[in-house]
Amino acid sequence: MTRRETPLLPATDAREAALFFVIGALCFLAALAALTTRGTYKAAEAWGAQIEGDLTVIMRSVDRRTAEDVADRVEVLANVFEARVLTREEVETLLEPSLGPGGMPEGLPIPMLMTVQADMAVGDPSPDIQRILAEMSVDGDVAGNAGYAENVRGALGVLRLVALSIVALLSATAIAVIAFATHAALLARRDIVDVLHLSGAEDRFIAGLFERRFWILALQAGLGGAVAALMVTALIVFTGSGSQGVEAQLLPRLSLDFWDIVILLVTPVAAGLAARMAARLTVLNSLKDTL
Amino acid sequence: MARFRPDLSDEPAVRLDGVSLSYERTGEVLSEIDLVLRQGSFTFLTGPSGAGKSSLLKLMYLAHAPTRGGIRLFGRQTYDLKRKQLAALRRRIGVVFQEFRLLDHLTAFENVALPLRVAGQKADAYQNEVIDLLRWVGLGERVDAPIPSLSGGEQQRVAIARALINKPDLLIADEPTGNVDPEMGRKILRLFAELNKRVGTTILIATHDLELLREFDSPVLRLANGLLVRDVEYGGAE
Repeated sequence: MTRRETPLLPATDAREAALFFVIGALCFLAALAALTTRGTYKAAEAWGAQIEGDLTVIMRSVDRRTAEDVADRVEVLANVFEARVLTREEVETLLEPSLGPGGMPEGLPIPMLMTVQADMAVGDPSPDIQRILAEMSVDGDVAGNAGYAENVRGALGVLRLVALSIVALLSATAIAVIAFATHAALLARRDIVDVLHLSGAEDRFIAGLFERRFWILALQAGLGGAVAALMVTALIVFTGSGSQGVEAQLLPRLSLDFWDIVILLVTPVAAGLAARMAARLTVLNSLKDTL
Repeated sequence: MARFRPDLSDEPAVRLDGVSLSYERTGEVLSEIDLVLRQGSFTFLTGPSGAGKSSLLKLMYLAHAPTRGGIRLFGRQTYDLKRKQLAALRRRIGVVFQEFRLLDHLTAFENVALPLRVAGQKADAYQNEVIDLLRWVGLGERVDAPIPSLSGGEQQRVAIARALINKPDLLIADEPTGNVDPEMGRKILRLFAELNKRVGTTILIATHDLELLREFDSPVLRLANGLLVRDVEYGGAE
């Protein structure tokens, strides 16, 4: 009867358990940072699109009925989601920061304001609104947020860059720490490398043993970290989906779509490859000292 | 003490020509060593601690390259060999260490089989051979014993069996009796002598146990301050 062969490398010890934890924690942070960065990208895009799509139409010397007729015609435009004439109270609220509380004197002529939410991806409706105003003989102008949106776009660009830099830095740090920790864990196994070497094992054979060992260890640890990141993201997605208001719009929009799953799958593979490469280089370098 | 310059015969098992070895920290530990071990010879290497015995053996079992000089093993110059060729050459050399260097998580059987396993042989091909060898070193009853459960003498015999499993042409033992009691040390050396006589394996044993040397009529090389000299007091034969 053939004997069962014990693996040439001993079972995981305390040092490797620590390495497992380090890799898991780093993968968790890296995956969460990558998901948050994607969320930041999506939030920035949505917020930018919303600002650019908000238009205000000022109509002078018209009654409310005429202004609402204009709104009805504007709303049927293909690239308009909504057109609504503001009430006098809403206009007063808007002017309150300039005029102070207490409202405006009765009889003070104020223009009718209409807010338009447009889908800028389809096209800017400003020329069509201007045409409708002319056709209905209404003295009015369309004010876009182009200047403001430009500033916001710039700020969001910086935000994206910062988020991307954090992910790049964290990923690079994670890979470096994984490589270093693998190197340290492997040096503790130098005795086994020596025994195998002196038993006539070729460099590739010895390196292969350690590569497989640390590849599997890092893959498992990375998978653990990715699953933890998935759970945290899921928790945020499901508990935070009800958030409304400006704050909610500014926060990263976490989701769990195809690319998020790709990020979660790539993270442990990258950790495994880093550990595998570090193991290979460490073994080959340590054998380079020998004949 | 005269500098030892042995006859340089054809195709010896080991031939060192003007070999020196320096370490970065300690400087030169071996200086201009010329040495020939004829095939089938049984030789002792002795000298005080720090004389360079282990360093000389490391050069012979291809753990280090010399700083200067040439090493020929079985007629092959070693300095220009590729790593794969070195690994193959290393399989012709059995090494026994004072500190055994066994893998604790493997059994006695698996430690002995290690050189065959790393060479890609399958367990069913070498199973009987390993068991026979363990019986020969007196460990027939401890084949499947984990290493930590063995005594120092038993561990040393496992290490010897591991060094012999490849039927090496050259057996190098670095203080093989250093961690065992005198009686076990004597048994181990007798085992080596028997192997040398029966199979013709070239054997070089480093030891500082001079009492033990008296029992064997074999050449004794002596290292002192990195220089190789012949010791005429013990053994006698060249």
